[in-house]
Amino acid sequence: MTGSATYLYAITRPLFDDGFAASGASAGLHGVSGAPVRSIAAGGLACLVSSVDLDEFGEDALRVNLEDLAWLERTARQHDEVVRAAARLTTTIPLRLATICADDAAAARRLAELDGQAASVLDDLDGRDEWGVKVFAVEEPPDDAAPIEPARTTGAAYLQRRRSQLERRTARTERAGQFADAVYRQLEDCAARGYRHRPQDQRLSGVAAPMLLNAAFLVDRQRAEEFRHMVGALAADRPPDAIVLTGPWPPYSFASVQQP
Amino acid sequence: MTGLPSREEAAGLADVLERVLDKGLVIAGDIRVNLLDIELLTIKIRLLVASVDKAREMGIDWWEHDPTLSVGQRDLAEENRALRSRVAELETATTDTAKAKA
Repeated sequence: MTGSATYLYAITRPLFDDGFAASGASAGLHGVSGAPVRSIAAGGLACLVSSVDLDEFGEDALRVNLEDLAWLERTARQHDEVVRAAARLTTTIPLRLATICADDAAAARRLAELDGQAASVLDDLDGRDEWGVKVFAVEEPPDDAAPIEPARTTGAAYLQRRRSQLERRTARTERAGQFADAVYRQLEDCAARGYRHRPQDQRLSGVAAPMLLNAAFLVDRQRAEEFRHMVGALAADRPPDAIVLTGPWPPYSFASVQQP
Repeated sequence: MTGLPSREEAAGLADVLERVLDKGLVIAGDIRVNLLDIELLTIKIRLLVASVDKAREMGIDWWEHDPTLSVGQRDLAEENRALRSRVAELETATTDTAKAKA
């Protein structure tokens, strides 16, 4: 399959259509495969797009490329870069990776179909950013390092010891879960909305400790400092790296409105 | 602002992927990317992006049986039960012995 198509990154209000080129923001902004990013307008909305080659982004090519972790990482980061650039300038609805239309006219038709819905999403996202908060179970040493018992090795004593060990471990797991829930609830109070992503596996988070909470919050910019301080306060009486804040992110986790 | 646990470096790949693949507005493009395909990729990518509910819908629940990925509640409960019944047995035996002595 040869030819080109239009890759869509993010939807904004039309003011962006003028502002984008005028602000010089598009200068040097490149999207997937290094193609220059431009803006198209339709249906009272604007959309950041770039041209892609169907050799790389056609259906068959995508099926192969998406399984290539290096390609996926590169493409995901380029996509994210463009979305971030938009979000720095104006209220932005991020689109899912690999949203591709046949050409600009087809993309414009999709935008026009979206109008009412996208407008209300934009209103909802105005003046807000996404923040990520992860909680890790980096705490007490393993409980198997329990107090050294005298060498009473009767079966009953062993079982007694084993039972209390298990009870301690169960209690600790419960406490960790409760702590994660409490962090989520407290931060949710300071946010417009919260969302709990699935905790990441240790091999991927790169952190030895298990992840207890992987949350995203949509926070009013006016309350961002308050939010950051709240996270800081929660982190203050925990071990280092037990609570990790990331952001601000474009509002990826709060734009998942499905088309009817 | 001290001790704020903010990370200023580039966002982690796992964080980026879980957002760009699993979140973001979905509009139907002309190139059909079957999002199920994305989640059926490799075990590595699945680890990164598959949300629990979506994966369960697709019958992917391997992590629940993988002791390195689950908290091990199940094993713990199992072991607890076994130990409790063993303790109960021993307690009965001790009581019987005491009765016999009395």
